[in-house]
Amino acid sequence: MRIAVTGANGDYGKLLLPRLEADPGVESILVLDTKEPPPISKVEFHRVDLTRYDAEAELTDALTERPVDALFHLAFLFGPILNGPLAHELEVIGTMNVLTAVGRARLPRLVVPSLTVTYGARGNNPALLREGSPLFGCPHSRFVNDKVEVEGQVRAFRERNPDTRTLVLRFAPLLGPSLDNPATRLLSHAVVPTLLGFDPLWQAIHEEDAGRALHLALRAEAAGEFNIVGRGVLPLSGLIRQAGAQPLPLPGPLFRGALRALGVVGASTLPVALLDYMHYSWVADGERAESALGFVPLHHVRDAASALRRSQS
Amino acid sequence: MTKGVLGNDPFQRGAAPRTGEVKDDAAGAKTAKKSAASKGGKGAKPAGKAKSAKGGASKSGSGAQAKAPKASKAAEAKQTSAGPRTPAAKVHKFEARANGRGSAKHEHDAHPAGEEVSPLREPSTPGPADEARPRVLADEVHGSRPRERKVDRALTEAIASDAAEAAAKTAVDGLFEGHDGPEHDIERVLATELVAEVAESAVRQVLDEGNGDASEREVATAVATQVAEATAGVAVDEVMERNASDLEERALPSDEERDPRDLDEDAEAWPTGAWSRDPKDVPPAENSGDVWTADAWRRDPEGMAAPMDPDEDDLVTGVERVEENGVHISVSIIEGAAPTDVEPEVELPDESHDELPPSRRPLSLVSDPGEDPGLEEAGQGEASFDHPEEPAAPSGFAGRAAGMFSLAKEIAGQALASEGLGRAMGAMHGLMEAMRTSLGTGGGSRLDEYGKDAGLVESLQPVLDFLYEQYWRVSVEGVDQVPRGASILVANHSGALPYDGLVMAQALQRERPDLLESRWLVEDQVFHAPMLGTLFNRLGAVRASPENALRLLDEHRPLVVFPEGYQGASKPFAERYRLKRFGRGGFVKLALRTGAPIVPVAIVGAEETSPLLGRLPGGFLGFPSLPLTAPGPLPAKWTIRFGEPITMEGLAPESADDLGEVQRLTERTRESIQGMLQALLRERRSVFTG
Repeated sequence: MRIAVTGANGDYGKLLLPRLEADPGVESILVLDTKEPPPISKVEFHRVDLTRYDAEAELTDALTERPVDALFHLAFLFGPILNGPLAHELEVIGTMNVLTAVGRARLPRLVVPSLTVTYGARGNNPALLREGSPLFGCPHSRFVNDKVEVEGQVRAFRERNPDTRTLVLRFAPLLGPSLDNPATRLLSHAVVPTLLGFDPLWQAIHEEDAGRALHLALRAEAAGEFNIVGRGVLPLSGLIRQAGAQPLPLPGPLFRGALRALGVVGASTLPVALLDYMHYSWVADGERAESALGFVPLHHVRDAASALRRSQS
Repeated sequence: MTKGVLGNDPFQRGAAPRTGEVKDDAAGAKTAKKSAASKGGKGAKPAGKAKSAKGGASKSGSGAQAKAPKASKAAEAKQTSAGPRTPAAKVHKFEARANGRGSAKHEHDAHPAGEEVSPLREPSTPGPADEARPRVLADEVHGSRPRERKVDRALTEAIASDAAEAAAKTAVDGLFEGHDGPEHDIERVLATELVAEVAESAVRQVLDEGNGDASEREVATAVATQVAEATAGVAVDEVMERNASDLEERALPSDEERDPRDLDEDAEAWPTGAWSRDPKDVPPAENSGDVWTADAWRRDPEGMAAPMDPDEDDLVTGVERVEENGVHISVSIIEGAAPTDVEPEVELPDESHDELPPSRRPLSLVSDPGEDPGLEEAGQGEASFDHPEEPAAPSGFAGRAAGMFSLAKEIAGQALASEGLGRAMGAMHGLMEAMRTSLGTGGGSRLDEYGKDAGLVESLQPVLDFLYEQYWRVSVEGVDQVPRGASILVANHSGALPYDGLVMAQALQRERPDLLESRWLVEDQVFHAPMLGTLFNRLGAVRASPENALRLLDEHRPLVVFPEGYQGASKPFAERYRLKRFGRGGFVKLALRTGAPIVPVAIVGAEETSPLLGRLPGGFLGFPSLPLTAPGPLPAKWTIRFGEPITMEGLAPESADDLGEVQRLTERTRESIQGMLQALLRERRSVFTG
């Protein structure tokens, strides 16, 4: 079984590659990236820059030259970056290029990670969001809306290319010692501001579970979207405590203003959009991943948060 | 004697005028003293401590020899002093006495302080002196008997006053000068109290035991006085050690005032440090130890103390008061105590009510605790007192503080052990948790996916129990009609604050433990309200939405819904219990789709629990309006009546799309609830008592 991976140097890639390396069924790993991945015996490196205009041609050439059984499109950001247009190029345009190339190469399997934040934290979310729930995104966040757009592209691709088994894994916020994303940054502070009077339920997934879910997607018979979430839920304050920090409830307007001011200055490590996710819950139902994908999370949210604490100390 | 103790006591005041009268008065005096003693009970302990500290300077007994001659003088002094004593505040009293009479007493003080000088008198020293003294006393007493009438009264009073004054003053002065710091007032008060108590106790015992025998009484009083003086002396000595000059000054006045006789006797005894002369006349109990060693001295005070009632707890030491009859006060000196500290140890072993087991008496290093009981018993005769024990304090102030602390700890422990307080504490804890949760800092790790926090509910259970059982006295009728498995309980919404869902959940949990845990649906306005929504969510409320309802019914839970929605919770008080429109019949559609039966439920009492009196604009907080209601839930009596279930049998799930059918079922449910409500309201006689 030959596999191609984009964005192998990202967090997803770091989680997946060792598993593929250890998987005896995997013959080779074609890495399509701008940077050479860590040297692994099975890896073949092909330099591709998804943000370039000729990315699609490059990808198509690479995939037709060395046909693969599955493509993991992992070249995604985990959080907003200051250069919004670049992020948009990478996520939306990059995905478009990948999808086109995959369609041309008629790959049998495509795996795309996403995030449960695409559901959006809204007051009228049901207690548990199933995969069929509409993706409302976050009106203030370009990052989240890019993700929603990517999902739309992938869904459209899936409908047009039924021969390509397309799996979308919607991950809850990933927590783990080796990760760097808004959630881990948020929890790494000694005092974490929260919204006074609100304590939404948060989910999280341990990085090991996330890697395992990606690996499972390699052979799953199902297609479609899957919520990949850890076991259990925690209120945000509980998550913060588990991570070894202290919640500090602030009145909403004050918090929002401060965060926005910091964001304008560029000094903020926390996206303003995070406020929405501190306001309302967006709890995804991992039942389908368990039944169709065979993914059973091993780590409770608690463990994921406390793993973060251990990594910090 | 009594002076010190009784300084402010009515008895003392009365005593002075009586000087002329003899025995009869004495008897009266006794009783009076007793009462006084009871008052002084608190003081008694400290006094005892002071004595003990001094080393059991224990010569107190010596004073026992009635000093007839002195008596007259003393009496005079007393009378004069009587006025000043009256002041209520002990401190003031003592000072007053000191000023007024101080002279008389000073001599006594002087002896211990000046002559003996030894700060810590060891028990051994007194021994020889004691032996000598007792005889003298005996002789004197016997001799005096014939002239009892004349002397005794005067004697008692005079001696008592003198002793008390002297003791008080000395103690006060000594302590005063010893501690210039802020504590000094306290110290002074304590010392005075100690002395006074000791004297009192001694007097009382003597009087009590020497029934009718004037001489005995007098002797006893004398002894008491002596004791008091001794104590004072001891205290003074300690203080004096610090300031020699002060001692000398005091000594001078004291000598002057003292009667020659007393002086002689005392002089003999005191230098050696054996103050404990036992008057032979004194009843057997006291007399038991003719030879006064330190122990004997100790006993004596105990014996004396016995009669007194410590009715009042010692503020400082927290000693319990004992009945008059069997009080034993043992004074022991603590060796190794800092010289500066006056440590009176009073042991009041209480045979019947002993709080502290004998083994726990840390008290006196010098004195043997074991001896106390026997001695006391001997002295008491018929009287049986309860003596609370006081743990000895290692050092004067610190010791008292420690004693107080330990007592407080014990009380606190017992209180905590009691169920009521435990529950109260649990409730407080639960409320704190709820507060933190609603603020958004509660944490919590036992949440289910709906947001109910089992841990919070557990810790809040005492509060819920109280509300349910005692505050709202919820009575539930017809709960057996709730079918097992999924069911939709449709209830009227009422009250400005939606307690009803919580109470319904509690009622189901209590009355129908066989059912799965129920959940109730709340409207968005409540669910998304800051704090309130968060708290309710943790307590089990679920946002009302078809998805949530379906999921809950799929889990075969009883589902409580309030179809009136926010309207129901926001209707003015005048429209209470009048059902609003039942939404769009969502619950009927649910029932039709899932086949779950509808159980109509009427809740009465919630409207009066939080009547809606008005509304404030609350948009800035996320509410459509802020309800203006009672500051807290009112104690209206709740009644929850479950009606006959409306089954969905014979109705196809597709009929959920039949608006007519839905409307019909909605109306039926509504009428059922309205009917039950009206029946309940008719049956209700009073809002608060049902």
